[in-house]
Amino acid sequence: MSLIHIQNLSKQFKILNRREGLSGAFRDLFSGDFRTVDAVAGISFDIEAGEIVGYIGPNGAGKSTTIKMMTGILKPTDGVIQVNGLAPYDNRIRQAQIMGVVFGQRTQLWWDLPVIESFKILREIYKVDQKTFDRHMSMFNDLVGLSALYTQQVRTLSLGQRMLCDITASFLHNPQVVFLDEPTIGLDISIKAKIRSVIKELNRERNTTIILTTHDLGDVEALCQRIIIIDKGKILYDGDIKKVNALFGAYRTLKLQIDDFDEKTIQILKEKLCERFGDDNGITVAETEESWTDVTIDQARTPLSDVLNFVMRDFQVDDVRILEISMENVVRKVYDGALG
Amino acid sequence: MTKYFPVIRGTYMIGLVYRFGFLFTILGNIIYLGVAYYLWKSIYRYSDTLRGLTFDETFLYVGLGSAIFILLKTYADWIIHYEIREGMIAVYLTKPIDYQLYALAANFGSLLMGLTAVSIPTVLILAFVFKVKVALGVGLLLFPISLLLAFLISFSIDYFVGVMAFYSESVWGLSITKEIIVTVFSGALIPLQFFPDAIQKILFWLPFQAMYHTPIMMITKANQGLDVFLPMLFIQLIWAMTLFMFTRLFYNQAIKVLRIAGG
Repeated sequence: MSLIHIQNLSKQFKILNRREGLSGAFRDLFSGDFRTVDAVAGISFDIEAGEIVGYIGPNGAGKSTTIKMMTGILKPTDGVIQVNGLAPYDNRIRQAQIMGVVFGQRTQLWWDLPVIESFKILREIYKVDQKTFDRHMSMFNDLVGLSALYTQQVRTLSLGQRMLCDITASFLHNPQVVFLDEPTIGLDISIKAKIRSVIKELNRERNTTIILTTHDLGDVEALCQRIIIIDKGKILYDGDIKKVNALFGAYRTLKLQIDDFDEKTIQILKEKLCERFGDDNGITVAETEESWTDVTIDQARTPLSDVLNFVMRDFQVDDVRILEISMENVVRKVYDGALG
Repeated sequence: MTKYFPVIRGTYMIGLVYRFGFLFTILGNIIYLGVAYYLWKSIYRYSDTLRGLTFDETFLYVGLGSAIFILLKTYADWIIHYEIREGMIAVYLTKPIDYQLYALAANFGSLLMGLTAVSIPTVLILAFVFKVKVALGVGLLLFPISLLLAFLISFSIDYFVGVMAFYSESVWGLSITKEIIVTVFSGALIPLQFFPDAIQKILFWLPFQAMYHTPIMMITKANQGLDVFLPMLFIQLIWAMTLFMFTRLFYNQAIKVLRIAGG
């Protein structure tokens, strides 16, 4: 039996439509104008013990809501959810014992105390015996090298150090499953790499199941064998990362700032690109912010350098940037049927 | 239950981290005691006893009131409100703990810190600087129990105000109102004996007198018999249990707002 079993899971939120202005605010006090929002609209998947699963999607896709249902914070509106055979919501305290959770935006550490005190407090809350605790701590130390920080107040840690401490804290009671909600948010490249290697090691050493939500496709590429893409509460893709990897690996976005830009320019650009590279060229053109134009290129079909050369020759380009594809664009591609 | 002990230790240690803050609290308390001393001295200028209290008893009452005030004022309402509004509650909900007991333990740590850092020094100042005398009696032995029950009542009221965060954007008005009601009607500022008889009768039926007046009476009138003290303790116990259970149910109801309707 799988560790996490989810079937037709859905969650609706009731949201009060706030009326405009002061008089509206007063009317809101007495009569509610509610609308329901489907944060999660009938999803199903199973996760086996020991997997690292990337759970990705744009903002407001329903990722956090799903995580909150798996951790027992939220009650599902409908459907089945089981972690280790039990419904998280009805068995919250018991289930909390086998789970570890890191919310990237919040800390579970005691802000005013030295790091080690938080670990000690968690040890007693989870009833981890001293021997196991000592063994874990020395293992974390080999892995993360944090012992120098233990006597430092949590509030004086850098964001990256704090995140590493938070992640180790979530593994302290040797949970079966750890949920990492945006663990690399706001971190620089080197600390991201460190966090990724720590997560990978902990998963390998202890066979801990890890569910990771992130906006950083780099995290997913580095860690996960399997990804689940969700948008608007529905699953768009669930499967091997390789297929998706090929998808966003091959795409690049060329950002162009074109002189004398107006609505016609974008039309002309489109036509000229079609003329030059043919109709089925894997190129899409979209205007984004002021005077910037996004040209997304499938490198499997058209080399980036050709497009760049062509555009530079025919247009007055002020500035150029080349980006890897963003989460939003991956989701758009999946919508467009790029995964068949 | 043992898993809440480290939480007590944790908040006690936070107190140690901010130990210099207590120096100012003690200093403030000394100034307050000085002002109260001369104020009550002038009130007692023309008579030895007022409303059945001598000057010494009244000053001891007011001084103990200030010492207990430090213990019971743990800002639990603000802290709980903040944790709920900022979503910290989600972190607690993923731990194998009961939030009310967790908050109680955290506050008990603050209480112990206040006891060692401010209340005991205040009592020493009362004894050695102001030379206040205490009659020996069974009340002194019952005082710790009474204080513990007072803490439970005080915590429950704060917890209730904090949990209101699920329904209200701001706790400010509610908290200030609570603060004023408690300070005036509990005996924290003025001995309840000084209120008109009719109001005293009403106050007897409210939980606030069980927070300050009852434990203070255990010391100022310590030589009374058990027949006086046991009913007082019993009333405290009833209030403590009722309020603790009521706020527990209130939380269980309020958390559904979050867990079913979303944060």
